[in-house]
Amino acid sequence: MKAWHAAALAAACLTCSGPVAAQKSDPERVAAFAELPYWPGYWVSEQYANTTIGGFAAPRDASSQPIRRLNGFDAPWNEEGKRRQAEAARLRGGRKALGWGYPMMMDAATPLQFMITPEETMIVNAYGEVRHIYTDGRPMPPAEDLWPTVWGTSIGHWEGDTLVVETVQVQTPFIYFHGGPTLSEEARYLERIRMEGDHLLIDFTIEDPVTLTEPWKVTIRQVREEAYDRMVQMDFSNDRTGVENGINTIEPSGD
Amino acid sequence: MRFQFAGAVTGVVALVAGTAQAHHSFAMFDMTKEVTVSGTVKEFQWTNPHAYIQLVAKDEQGRDVEWSMEMGAPMYLYARGWRPSSLKAGMQVRVTLNPLRNGRPGGVVRDVVTADGRQIGTNR
Repeated sequence: MKAWHAAALAAACLTCSGPVAAQKSDPERVAAFAELPYWPGYWVSEQYANTTIGGFAAPRDASSQPIRRLNGFDAPWNEEGKRRQAEAARLRGGRKALGWGYPMMMDAATPLQFMITPEETMIVNAYGEVRHIYTDGRPMPPAEDLWPTVWGTSIGHWEGDTLVVETVQVQTPFIYFHGGPTLSEEARYLERIRMEGDHLLIDFTIEDPVTLTEPWKVTIRQVREEAYDRMVQMDFSNDRTGVENGINTIEPSGD
Repeated sequence: MRFQFAGAVTGVVALVAGTAQAHHSFAMFDMTKEVTVSGTVKEFQWTNPHAYIQLVAKDEQGRDVEWSMEMGAPMYLYARGWRPSSLKAGMQVRVTLNPLRNGRPGGVVRDVVTADGRQIGTNR
C-alpha cells in the first residue's frame, strides 16, 4: 500500500469514528436513555408460563385472571370476518406454520426480548422474528412506501413508561400462521405496552373496516420465563404436522 | 422391550396436566390415554416448531416399530433442563405419551426416563 493511500485511509477512519464517539458522549441522548424503562429478561404470554416438555401449559389456579388470546376466536367479527373465520377453520387442519408472525408473536410461548433505545425499540423472539418500532418522532411512511408484510410497519412514542405503538400493513396473520386471526391488510393495530408489577401488559386495540364491527380490545399479559439464560434463535425447519383422513397426525421422519 | 400400556387414565390426565398448547390442535392425540413405550433412541430431533424422539420399540409380535414422539419447541425443553445431548442414538429410554388417535405409532410426550428410571431434565 502506498504511503499516501494509507494516510488517506487513516484519515477516513478518523472521520468515520468521529461521529460515533460524539454520539456516545451526547448528553441529550444519554439523558433520553436514562428516562426509558428497562424490561430485561425473556417474556412469554402468561398462558404459556412453565410449559412442559410436551408443550402443555402448567395448570392455572381457578382464581387467576381469565386468559385472553389474539387468535381471534372472540373478536367482534362482521359478516366478512365470520366468513373468513369459517374458511380458516376449514383449512387450519392441513396447514403447516412458518412461525408466529404479528400479532401472534406477542401472545406466544416463544420468548420475546425487548431492546429499548431512544430512537427505536426492537422486539425479537426465539424464531428470529423481529419488530422495529421507531420512536424517533417520524410519522408513518406514506402509503406508496408501504406494503403488507408479516410483521407490519410500526412507529411509536413513549407516554411516561408506556410504549404506544401503531402498526399497519400487516399481511393477513392467518397466512403466515394458521392459528392467527383472519384480519385484513387494512387492519390498524394500536398497542400500549407497560410494566405492572411482575407482568408486562400489552393492551391491544385493533380496528379493521373489512372484518370487524367495532374495535377489538384484548390485553395480553406477559411473564418472565426465568429459566432462560440467553436468547437462542432457531429456524422453523421441521414442522411434521400432517393431515390424514381429515385429522392431524405426525408425518414420518424425513431422515 | 415391550409396549407397556399404562391403562385407562381417562379424563383425569388432561385436568392434571393443564391445557394443551402448541402451534397446532392437540385433537390429533388421545388425551384420555397414556401409553408407556420402552425402546432405543434412533434420533433426537432438536428442531422447531417441535422436537421429536424417534424411538424403536418391539411390538407384541416382536417386530421393530419406529415411533415418532412429539415434544414442545427446543426453548421449552431448554427451560426444563433438556439439551440436544440429553438423548443420544442407542440410549434405552421409557417414554410416557398420549397416543395419536389414528393408531399410528406416535404421540405427544408426557415424561421420559432412562432405562434405570432416571428422570431426564424436569417436567415442571
